[in-house]
Amino acid sequence: MSLLWLRVAVLLYGIAALAVLPAALYDRPRWRHIAIPATIAGVLFHFVSLAEMLNAAHHRLPVDTHETQSLLGLILALAFLMVYWRYKTVSLGVFLLPVCFLFGLVPAFHPGQESTAFPMVHIGWIFLHVALLLAAYAALVLSLLASLLYLIQERRLKQKSPTLPWLPALETTDQIAQRALLFGLPCMTAGLLIGSLIAQATVGASYFRDPKILLAFAMWLVYIAMIHIRRIAGLRGRRAVYLSSFVFFLVLAVWAANQLSAVHRFNAP
Amino acid sequence: MNQSKLQSRIQSRLQSTPAAGHVRLVLLGINHNTAPIEVRERLAIPSTRLADATRTLLHQPGIREGLILSTCNRVELLTLQEDAGEASSIQPQTKADLLRFLHEYFAVPPIDIQPHLYEFREREAVRHLFRVASSLDSMVVGEPQILGQVKESYTIAREVGAVSTHLESLLQRTFTVAKKIRSETQIGSSSVSIASVAVDLARKIFGSLQGKTVLLVGAGKMSELAARHLIEHGASSILVSNRTQSRAEKLAAVFASPTVHTEAIPFEALYEQTPRADIVITSTGAPQKIFGRSHGQHFLQRRRNRPMFFIDIAVPRDVDPRMNKVEGCFVYDIDDLQQAAAANLADRSREAAAAETIVSREVDKYHERLQSRDAVPAIKVLQQQAEAIRETELARSQSKLAGLTPQQREAVESLTRSLTAKLLHPQLTALRESTRSKNTE
Repeated sequence: MSLLWLRVAVLLYGIAALAVLPAALYDRPRWRHIAIPATIAGVLFHFVSLAEMLNAAHHRLPVDTHETQSLLGLILALAFLMVYWRYKTVSLGVFLLPVCFLFGLVPAFHPGQESTAFPMVHIGWIFLHVALLLAAYAALVLSLLASLLYLIQERRLKQKSPTLPWLPALETTDQIAQRALLFGLPCMTAGLLIGSLIAQATVGASYFRDPKILLAFAMWLVYIAMIHIRRIAGLRGRRAVYLSSFVFFLVLAVWAANQLSAVHRFNAP
Repeated sequence: MNQSKLQSRIQSRLQSTPAAGHVRLVLLGINHNTAPIEVRERLAIPSTRLADATRTLLHQPGIREGLILSTCNRVELLTLQEDAGEASSIQPQTKADLLRFLHEYFAVPPIDIQPHLYEFREREAVRHLFRVASSLDSMVVGEPQILGQVKESYTIAREVGAVSTHLESLLQRTFTVAKKIRSETQIGSSSVSIASVAVDLARKIFGSLQGKTVLLVGAGKMSELAARHLIEHGASSILVSNRTQSRAEKLAAVFASPTVHTEAIPFEALYEQTPRADIVITSTGAPQKIFGRSHGQHFLQRRRNRPMFFIDIAVPRDVDPRMNKVEGCFVYDIDDLQQAAAANLADRSREAAAAETIVSREVDKYHERLQSRDAVPAIKVLQQQAEAIRETELARSQSKLAGLTPQQREAVESLTRSLTAKLLHPQLTALRESTRSKNTE
């Protein structure tokens, strides 16, 4: 049943991704009234699908890459809704909603078969660990996207070319970028902390000598440094994009480091 | 009732209907394209006198409904007149009546008005009204005020009883069309004046202008206008700096209000105080640049890279254009603003073409609906007659249907209703078609 709800959610994301184009690019309120409710409904169905999946999983947690992507898609859709609620702009949806649709597409129609057994008591915490870290990644993606939009709009204003009316104002994109990072910090901290506690309880201290884990903590430090620099120096525009991109690639490296890790590889053959 | 009686009843209903042939929509007016300001100002009606003028118009012979639209660019009389006879003979008379009204009300000789007058009838009057309300006939195409002015005229005309059935439905349709054009085209979305372009750019940088600080350097008329626009959009603090301190104080006082903080800054403290401003408008007559690139870097450093927008409307320029290269500084001179305004105007013209298509479509729809509406009384007679026959026949078979359950009775009711509706359908369609073709002829 969870698969059916996921398919409905993906379909709704698809509708929202199409409707947001005229809504953002041509400022058509009628299309905005389709895109926003479709996203809300998509998120709700996605939640239901997730809850049913977790309920059915009991002590086995799906760990296929696509399942994780689907969860990331849900968080990005939520991020889009939060940005809309706070800043009344649908511009970011032009990029975020297609990503939500694509991230949900594979698990909805070709669900992965891989799952990992965990002690029943840890299932909830592990899910929280994954969800919090994915929320931190989503915040970083959002921040990077907002910084890129800032850069595009800034360039057009500097070159005196006609501005893109669908892009938010510079100060708005800057605020989105800053606040997304601030939101991501506690998520990443809590996610790493929960992961560490579970690891301590299950694997022991040797877990913290794993390259993947060391890289994850390095990422956390860089993330904090980035927020500090952005806030202290009021970093905006090109330099902010460079910094966000650097941290984003670091995050990708940490993600990819699963392949090097001896203890953080749940889907290993 | 037999067939011939029914036919004569329908015929009489059709004849008594106030069809398009019995009332005539006439629009007479002058606007910025046909009349110079000297003529327009003689005919302009202040809003305080609009009710009285509309009442006077309504008392003219043959006028059933009427509305007067009076703005700085146009004076138009929209009237629904009784059609007393053949079209060819009535046309000059109608115009003469309205001209007489203008002459009597404004004391302007007809000879002074006549060369500038335009006249639209029926379909063309509807088209013109749609175009006016949608701002397609305005001096600045896409300006938003005209719709409000049409609505105000409508409210006044309604209050004095000059608008009822026909004009009511026409004006409601007009407002819908104007709204549709606003939402489906970008006709009013771009700014076409220097001051509003400056506001638009400021909003592209800062988003909301609520709480923003504007610094005026120099005291020119255009900078004052731009500052006013910025205040209208939320700027809450105005700083003024001028070489002559008394002029700065005088200008600051002009903007003072309970919601706007104003301050005159001594010219010597200009560089010290400039970082406080988010938007700087310069319009001095200084032969050299007042702000250079290094000033921009210094200001941004003090503002922790919060952006600054320099609007330089001075000639020669007050701000070094190289300051635009400083990250976070946006410098626009008068040419940049004019180019943006011209580009927006071109955009509006493109959107106007799309709006004209919508107007044409809506005129057709309105006309079609109007023509079908004339058949409504006859259709009602036919439907009532059929319903009476159905009920009589059912009553006659009452004794035979007595043994039916409530569900079976409901089924018989619905069957007979459906039969009469289906039998009537071709007649009703033919009736609508015939009314439509009669009106077209």
